[in-house]
Amino acid sequence: MTPAAITPSFWMSTRRSFAAAMRRDGFGIIALVVLALVILGPLYSVVLWAFAERWQYPSLIPTQFGLSFWEQTFARADIQRALPFSIVLASVVTLLSAVICLPASYAFARIKFRGRQALLLSFLATNAFPRFGLYVSIAVIFFRLNLIGTVPGVILIQLVNTLLLMIWIPTAAFQGIDRSLEEAALDVGASPLRVFIQITLPMVMPALSAALLLTFVNTFYEAQGALIVGLPRVVTMPVLMYSLINSQLVVQYGAIVSFVLWMPSLLLLLVANRLLRGGYLTAGFGV
Amino acid sequence: MTTLARTSTRQRQWRGAILAYLLVAPPLLLMVLLIFIPATQSIARTLTISVDGQPGFSFSRYAAFFSDPISVNNLLFTFQVTLLTLAVIFIVCFPLSLYLRFSTGRIASAVQILALFPLFVPGIILCYALIRFLGTRGTLDTLLSLVGITGYRTPYLKPEAIVIGLVWESIPFTVLVLTAGLRQVSDTLIESARDVGAGDWTIFRRIILPLIVRPALIVFSLNFLGIFGSYTIPYLLGPAAPQMMGVFMQQTFGQYRRPDDAETQAVITFLICAFVGFLYVRTVASQRLTREEE
Repeated sequence: MTPAAITPSFWMSTRRSFAAAMRRDGFGIIALVVLALVILGPLYSVVLWAFAERWQYPSLIPTQFGLSFWEQTFARADIQRALPFSIVLASVVTLLSAVICLPASYAFARIKFRGRQALLLSFLATNAFPRFGLYVSIAVIFFRLNLIGTVPGVILIQLVNTLLLMIWIPTAAFQGIDRSLEEAALDVGASPLRVFIQITLPMVMPALSAALLLTFVNTFYEAQGALIVGLPRVVTMPVLMYSLINSQLVVQYGAIVSFVLWMPSLLLLLVANRLLRGGYLTAGFGV
Repeated sequence: MTTLARTSTRQRQWRGAILAYLLVAPPLLLMVLLIFIPATQSIARTLTISVDGQPGFSFSRYAAFFSDPISVNNLLFTFQVTLLTLAVIFIVCFPLSLYLRFSTGRIASAVQILALFPLFVPGIILCYALIRFLGTRGTLDTLLSLVGITGYRTPYLKPEAIVIGLVWESIPFTVLVLTAGLRQVSDTLIESARDVGAGDWTIFRRIILPLIVRPALIVFSLNFLGIFGSYTIPYLLGPAAPQMMGVFMQQTFGQYRRPDDAETQAVITFLICAFVGFLYVRTVASQRLTREEE
């Protein structure tokens, strides 16, 4: 290595050379084209089918656009029942989860107690089972307790899914805030409750709202637990999708329902940046 | 005075600890009731048999499972799909993550957006979209015929479609975790290695690989559990036979109304996944502990 090479610009350029090497062989462009086809292709099909009157092969776009199937879709009694029910159910589960988990996450973040770390890690158990096997195991108990086909049964099985996310994200948030502000407020005589409401809460609000939104969306789309515990009497929107997909007489029904069901998920896109920057998305997986 | 102050702090600590236990009790209780009790009860029940009204220990439920060719076939099929899917996930996501870690610019950020996009597509909608995309006379078929390729054979209702669906769903999480792991590999480290004459391959093998063992283990274990315990994608995209264990269990429980057999199938998936589940918890725990020490 000649002395001339060891300059700051050399350090900078080595990093770039790695990137440049990858770009030179067109990796990025190939990845972009393949991903665009594979990721966006399927969504393209669904969205266009939702607005198609007729779509004959081999046309790349619908032969005739139109909205007449929208009326038919929402005139279906099963959809009229399931859609509002799913929204209410997901809200109830999210609220219950918040009431159960948020105080616990505050304790995990702020109070020192024996076994804190082990108890926090124990929530990883919700991810450490093959999901559907666990559901069957729960369903067998519910079967004996006559909870199959009941709303409380569905709420309970869906709550399991929310625990890890609703504890880990808020715990990280409560741990992450700067405590000097709280101490300053206490020093000038503010009551602990007032400090919590006026100082602590606003600081953790972005993380808390992200956790609530993620929980709501995940629960809204949760189909497997609701399927095995809810049927035959409790039918949520995603569970209804199974039958719409399997008895696909009219393609548009499934496409329109998919399109409408997808909207809550797009809410997440709005806060995607915040979720990614805070590392919250992976926290939901226990990473 | 000092003794008095000390007792009062200790009392306050005690009170704090009791409050903490009260606060963490509800979610813990829920987890015990809905995970530990069902799982241990299932394991215990599948090992007991009623002899003249008396419970006795027996492997007979497992013997029945393993002597039934359909059950064994479904289990083997689940293994095959899981391993194949994991292989494809790593082949696709590892180069993508390396690229995203070491590249900047517009193309890289567009690739990142696309790779993360499946996070915002729920599984059930993905299934419907893939049917419309991959099915006979679907969008892919149309695209191929436009460029003159005919004779498209759809993977829909074949094992390949399950693999495609599961890979599609796993890309964002895998890329997120692997890229985050690769960010721990500092630029200075790579530059100094290059300085002493290390080539790209040596840098990859000696620096990058050891540092991403942990993220790779997390990705491996969570994807393994997710695929082994999947239901929606294999049910909607896969063949009627052989079935993956999730589909098999649902059929046994929901359609044939044989909860005992479904339970045996569930416990078999628990036992197979136990090691992977343990690996996941251990890896995440050690990662957190190292992070807290720093």
